[in-house]
Amino acid sequence: MIVGLLFLALPIFLSGCGILSTERLPQAPGGPPKAMVAKVPFFAQEELQCGPAALAMALNWSGVVVKPSDLTPEVFTPGLEGSLQSALIGATRRHGRVAYPITGSESLLAEVAAGHPVIVLVNLGLSWYPKWHYAVVIGFDQERDEVILHSGLTANEHLKSGVFLNTWQRGEYWGLLILPPNRLPNKVEEGAWLEAVAGLEKTGQWRGAAIGYATAQKRWPQSFGASMGLGNSRYSQHDFPGAAEAFRRATLLEPKNGMAFNNLAQVLAEQGKRKEALAAAQRAVELGGPLLENFRKTLEEIKKKPDSKNSRKRGK
Amino acid sequence: MLQKMIKPMSFFLVFSFLLLDFSVQAAKAQMIDTSTVIATQKQDASRERVAAFLGRDDVQQVMVQHGVDAAEAQKRVASLSDAELAKISQAMDQLPAGGDGGIGTIIGAAVFIFVVLLITDIVGLTHVFSFVNHKR
Repeated sequence: MIVGLLFLALPIFLSGCGILSTERLPQAPGGPPKAMVAKVPFFAQEELQCGPAALAMALNWSGVVVKPSDLTPEVFTPGLEGSLQSALIGATRRHGRVAYPITGSESLLAEVAAGHPVIVLVNLGLSWYPKWHYAVVIGFDQERDEVILHSGLTANEHLKSGVFLNTWQRGEYWGLLILPPNRLPNKVEEGAWLEAVAGLEKTGQWRGAAIGYATAQKRWPQSFGASMGLGNSRYSQHDFPGAAEAFRRATLLEPKNGMAFNNLAQVLAEQGKRKEALAAAQRAVELGGPLLENFRKTLEEIKKKPDSKNSRKRGK
Repeated sequence: MLQKMIKPMSFFLVFSFLLLDFSVQAAKAQMIDTSTVIATQKQDASRERVAAFLGRDDVQQVMVQHGVDAAEAQKRVASLSDAELAKISQAMDQLPAGGDGGIGTIIGAAVFIFVVLLITDIVGLTHVFSFVNHKR
């Protein structure tokens, strides 16, 4: 009983800090007053398994057919009795989807309005539930001042915005989008998207990465990073002509940047175009920069490589 | 109010500097991977951002008040390491976007001055933390 009273008193202390969030959802300028994401399947969570359940809902929405129990070994940490945010991000990438973190209620509303469900980390700390909890926001209604979530054992739970915002605030307004690589977030920032896609490369999801970079290139045609990423992920799939094209584009976008010439040289060398490869590698070394040593190595290795005609002769 | 804000802020920032990652990326031969490309681009962006910040009128005013030569500050920023710049850029992110009157503005001004002094302290033109102690 006393413990219960203490728990009741806690919110008062918290509000005393003056950091209690606004009670209502912000009015999204130009956004709709209410929205609901269609076709987000619901999986009731098993004990402690809110992470796998929330991720399964978002992944299935994005087109990956997967059950929460399949995800448990990928995201759940038994010692912590929970799932870490980084584990959710890692697992998303392993399934070929882009994990794009967002923060704050304006981004949340913008994404839900655009038809993207958002995984949120909330702290239910003051009730008898486990403290940290993942749920999936699938809708909102400004007029009724409600947020709609798939959470725990409840599908389509309608929560008062104030309640939701208070629990989400204790989760530092952390949200995560799970997107197919050809679909950009509503409020997207070039650098953040490229980083999110680079995460796919790290897990060897080259095809997904290539699609993600191509999508970035369409949105930001001047993006050097998108061209470089596209080149690298095509190269990893042994698509040398495609890689060469992407790196060429990068050299045009930033003609003073040695990185593009270096990678172009490497691809040309693999294609057996020794003369062009040497010229590109030479250019990279001339441009220099912090990666000069790397450029030099590329040049040396291409010089060492016998040109394709000779190697054929030697081979027979 | 000002002092109350500055003290915890400075501890927080000093602490975050302790977490700086000084590891140097091992140069891999041949292909430059995308993460490196993105990191480099980000560094260039924060360099420009800090330089632009120091070029602002209100920032220059604060610098003048503290006897800092603006041109010298710019020169020193140019010689900062990428990790240091990234941290400064992060500190700038914590600046309130716009004062909405009352306490917000006061805190905003304090944080603003703090960030300016943080930068000039890093480049060795002021001593922010002795400034904080001096005030008390």
